[in-house]
Amino acid sequence: MAAAYVHPEVLVSADWVEQHRNDPKVRIVESDEDILLYEMGHIPGAVKVDWQGDLQHQILRDYIDAAKFAEICERSGISNDTTVVFYGDKSNWWACYAFWAFKLFGHKDCRIMNGGRKLWTDQKRELTVEVPSYPKVTYTVDPAAAAEASIRCFRDDVLAHQKAGLPLIDVRSTKEFTGERTHMENYPEEGALRGGHIPGAKSVPWSLAVNEDGTFKTADELKVIFESEAGLKPTDNVVAYCRIGERSSLTWFVLTYLLGYPTVRNYDGSWTEWGNLVRVPIVKGA
Amino acid sequence: MSAAALDEIVSELGGADRQERIELLIDFARNLPPLPAKLDHMKDAAHRVEECQSPVYLFVELHGDRIEFHADAPIEAPTVRGFVAILVEGLKEATIEDVLSIPNDLIERIGLPEILGMLRVRGLHGVLGRLKAEVTRAAIGRASEPSA
Repeated sequence: MAAAYVHPEVLVSADWVEQHRNDPKVRIVESDEDILLYEMGHIPGAVKVDWQGDLQHQILRDYIDAAKFAEICERSGISNDTTVVFYGDKSNWWACYAFWAFKLFGHKDCRIMNGGRKLWTDQKRELTVEVPSYPKVTYTVDPAAAAEASIRCFRDDVLAHQKAGLPLIDVRSTKEFTGERTHMENYPEEGALRGGHIPGAKSVPWSLAVNEDGTFKTADELKVIFESEAGLKPTDNVVAYCRIGERSSLTWFVLTYLLGYPTVRNYDGSWTEWGNLVRVPIVKGA
Repeated sequence: MSAAALDEIVSELGGADRQERIELLIDFARNLPPLPAKLDHMKDAAHRVEECQSPVYLFVELHGDRIEFHADAPIEAPTVRGFVAILVEGLKEATIEDVLSIPNDLIERIGLPEILGMLRVRGLHGVLGRLKAEVTRAAIGRASEPSA
């Protein structure tokens, strides 16, 4: 019998979104790499959250604080008990990043629309340029619910994780993993002074987890990729990283929700931090 | 900068507020003319801008001292498509010198980093660099041809 996703409820279909887009308990959020896409047309009723302009601190290399996050939710009509459904371009890469950031602040009910923007438009579903406005709500970030410690890690955590021989998943392209390139293919100048990977890391490029149409692969296919091929076990404590922590949020989502791993942390400093640190261990080559 | 049409676009975008700028960029993206049929089948690695994650193609020809410039980028990547459309529109009838004298901070002058963020404008710098390189190459190619 085919394996099922461990937490299938976090994934919703385009049909589900059609049925719930006027549901006051549900808010649809578009989060894209290309910031103009939302303005070109979005799912009716959807609001925009920008990974860079909204979620990232504009000066520090960090996320916004709890007060700013509450503001974004309040302006978007998102209360603490709203079901927030993320979708976006590039196989939901940025939607997963926004999902992860919402979890940093402890938002309870987050979901991903399987297939993202591409599947929605490929199926010729309705798009609008009309920007909705929702009555302002109140949002309170509960520090006790914030999940930062359990889903995000910093360089010292990664060093300790690596020294302990615990599993690391490097989700960058093969050329970035081997050190042939110090930046992501087609993203020059976003690189690091050194190329290679963190010792012990297994290479599982993020895009292996998604199909051509933007949907996630089945649980069986994901198990082959992460367990048979990369050697993970469902009880493992895993750190995922990429270049700035965006591609690895999708892998974090897959391991945490689709395969149900208990401890998966995203190293958002990722290679642009590690590849620039003095005296940290690096391996070059496959 | 001496391409008058591009100058005009720069001052229009530079003077617009954030939301107007987004809308103008979208208009440009929607109105990029399709490639002429003779170029449409030449969308290959040689004409692709490497720095862009999305498939962006540039074609430059010289007619006398004027350039003929065509470009293509997918509508799913409106940012880069909009930027490419600005160049196509702004450089109609431009000379080699017009292109080579486009300031390298054009992207900043049109206020794109402010709406796109620094990380997202890298690919656009790649487009501008590639355009100048293509025009330079075409000019050198012509200079080395034996005169008739």
